[in-house]
Amino acid sequence: MREPPGLCPVSLMATALTSAFDRPTAAAASVAHCRHCGNACAGLLLANAHGTFCCAGCASVYALLAEHGLDQYYRCAPDAGRPQRTDIDAARWALLDDALSAAQFLDGGDGTWRYARFGVPAIHCASCLWLLERLWRLEPGVGRCEVDMVRRTVRIAFRPDVTTLRRVAERLASIGYAPALDPEHRADAPASRRALYTRIGVAGFAAGNMMLFSIPRYASGPALEPIFQRLFDTLNVLLALPVLVYAASDFFVAAWRAIRNRTLTLDVPVAMGLAVLFGRSLFDIVSGQGPGFLDAFAGLVLFLLIGRLFQQVAFDRIAFDRTVRSFLPLSVRVMTAEGWALRAIDALLTGDVILVRPGEVIPADATVVDADGAVDLAFVTGEQAPVAVTAGVTVVAGARVVESPLRVRVLRPVSHSRLASLWQASTAVHKPSHWLTLVSARFGQGFTVLALTLTAAGAVAWWPDAGKAAQVATAVLIIACPCALTLSAPITLGTAAGCLGRAGVYLKDAAVLLDLSRVDTVVFDKTGTLTRAETRAVLDRHELSAEDWARVQQLAAASTHPISRALAGHGVHATDARNVQERAGAGIVGDVGGARVALGTAAFVQRIAGAPAVSVPGRTYASVGPRVGWLTSTTPAREGAPAMVEAIARLADPWLVSGDHDLTAGQWTPIFGTHMRFDQSPDDKQRFVRSVQARGRHVLMVGDGLNDAVALGSADVGMAVSDDAACLVPACDAVIAGDAIGVLPDVLRYARRARHVIVLCFVVSVFYNVIGLGLALTGALTPLATAILMPVSSLTVVGLSTGLMRVAVPGGRR
Amino acid sequence: MTVILWLIAAGALVAGGFMAAFVWAVRSGQYDDTTSPAVAVLLDDPALPARDTGRKGSLDA
Repeated sequence: MREPPGLCPVSLMATALTSAFDRPTAAAASVAHCRHCGNACAGLLLANAHGTFCCAGCASVYALLAEHGLDQYYRCAPDAGRPQRTDIDAARWALLDDALSAAQFLDGGDGTWRYARFGVPAIHCASCLWLLERLWRLEPGVGRCEVDMVRRTVRIAFRPDVTTLRRVAERLASIGYAPALDPEHRADAPASRRALYTRIGVAGFAAGNMMLFSIPRYASGPALEPIFQRLFDTLNVLLALPVLVYAASDFFVAAWRAIRNRTLTLDVPVAMGLAVLFGRSLFDIVSGQGPGFLDAFAGLVLFLLIGRLFQQVAFDRIAFDRTVRSFLPLSVRVMTAEGWALRAIDALLTGDVILVRPGEVIPADATVVDADGAVDLAFVTGEQAPVAVTAGVTVVAGARVVESPLRVRVLRPVSHSRLASLWQASTAVHKPSHWLTLVSARFGQGFTVLALTLTAAGAVAWWPDAGKAAQVATAVLIIACPCALTLSAPITLGTAAGCLGRAGVYLKDAAVLLDLSRVDTVVFDKTGTLTRAETRAVLDRHELSAEDWARVQQLAAASTHPISRALAGHGVHATDARNVQERAGAGIVGDVGGARVALGTAAFVQRIAGAPAVSVPGRTYASVGPRVGWLTSTTPAREGAPAMVEAIARLADPWLVSGDHDLTAGQWTPIFGTHMRFDQSPDDKQRFVRSVQARGRHVLMVGDGLNDAVALGSADVGMAVSDDAACLVPACDAVIAGDAIGVLPDVLRYARRARHVIVLCFVVSVFYNVIGLGLALTGALTPLATAILMPVSSLTVVGLSTGLMRVAVPGGRR
Repeated sequence: MTVILWLIAAGALVAGGFMAAFVWAVRSGQYDDTTSPAVAVLLDDPALPARDTGRKGSLDA
């Protein structure tokens, strides 16, 4: 992205060239930041009355908000705006005019108001909330808008007589909050969490009140009258019953399930400990031997439930949808006797003729019906250049239609298509079950055996005295309850996953962090990972004016060459070019607005324009009449990517494995050295990952798109780079936002810290257990000691795991 | 000492009331989203442009 000084490079990604070209500014000051998204506008700058912007998308969002007095948006949170470079095909909203498709987003209503629920992946901060709740000021007919920041959904009231669902969606998109149209992004209020909250309430209620009734028995001083002793004990039992039957039921169910599967997870000793705790207390109370341990029992259940809540909240934050459906349209137009009708893609039959519009993905393997058209296979092979297709040609599912609508005849139903099998192949790759489950199972086994052995030993040691032996045995079982152990991993990992989410790294589940902590080799894909996904044309205006470039752009829109596409942007569809001739490998020439316009190699342009043009590699020349200019097309490296790889090299072995030719290898040689592989097919990438793993290494694969899916699935951790949160990738364990790629080294370090924190928690809780076991085996474990020891050990673990994971978080400016 | 019995009864009544209120709050969905409302109340509107949209549409309908 570094341009020689004195040139006037302008990004041509955005749509409105005419307005965008008002005042293109030289990118002399590298400190200029986009008024909307705050990104440094290095080299690409656009200035108008509102300030400087990195692209026309950002500028138009800013203008819209300023016009409606909503620029407060930029003051609510420091990083409110998100870059608007991701192009969204405007045609997709037309789907919402169709009642069948729209019904999936409607959520009840009454006479006047209708309610829509959308998943909006762009929601990320307080400003988003602020702006979306004021949507009614931007769109007439819109009422209240409720935002759920964690699940990233909005619920919008609108008047169907004033506006339409489609207009609401378009309005959301116009301010940078495009709703996701795939059904998996719809969120319904989860009922399961309500049950957990109620359980916590019951356990907390019981624990608090039982503490009150227990204190008189712990306190020194004159003994309580027996009648009150009995009363308090009875009340404690009454309070403990709902805890046992309702609040703690999940733990018993989990333990029972583990036993039925013939495994001993940590749930088993937990359930055993809880059961013995309650049973022994009941026995003590009924036989009049003492107050039992019921307060400790309720407190323990409360802590365990809070740990579970932590886990679920963390899961909410990191939950993302990984189904292949995200790529596919919801429904497509099918030709019927009465004309075109919309049908869900699952209902497509072999032989159906469907109409796929530009930008949409063909949902099933099909043959082309139209005389000609073009598709690109970016999702399937990663190849971005469009391929021309003619009638009778077979196109695979996942191919994306470009330029003009295409009619195709379905060959195979959706679920059998090649795209689906690519997806299934990648998920079928056997992944060893997660470290955490393994540890829990192995630890649970060892723990259960050890606890039972100690129990037996304690009982034998005190044997002649049967009563004492039973007391000691139950005390050992109680204190051995590994509650602190079960708390440490979910809380540490849950906290960490939440913090990572705020830094732009989303984990499939929290245990991925443990896999990440063992990574010693990082394999990078190039295009879309270390570089941006799209080709960008950077103009040197030379002799050509802005109007001239607008003409060149019109000409470029008539071509399917990648450089032409980058030049034309996605907005220009209609073209005024006449007499267009394209010569493969040379260029394209035509008449635009009365001038002869050419675009192509130096020799080609020189011949048309009659003016000299010196051939320089990487340049494409353009001429309008006799005036000549050139543009440089690049797939620029992401900001900070080279520095990031250098930082990774200190932690793990970096490798570059690219599907492209090694045209740009020079840029990466100083960083990767010989650790580079080019021209790798998706299968080659997988083979490479496997070969590294065969040497006993743990591989993190960082890639994009479906073409990396198999390699992502094979790696120990597959991390997908995504510029558009709505467009997610199957078969990965984590997603990292494109602009967050720089934090990757910090993420690796953070993951290693998480493992150390868990080990530390284990050590601490074992320390408490040893003290407790000492007391238990000598028969000195009093109810009071239990009531203190257990909460203290749980609290230490909770404090350690949350505290240590909250300091020095990756991407810590938030 | 019978006053303790009264105290316990009164305490149970109050505590039970709060317990019931908590269960009601959970059931009515107040714990479904614990993040967004907490943020929303902190955001102030600047002076609104004069524009009556007749904004209604409570979502509780």
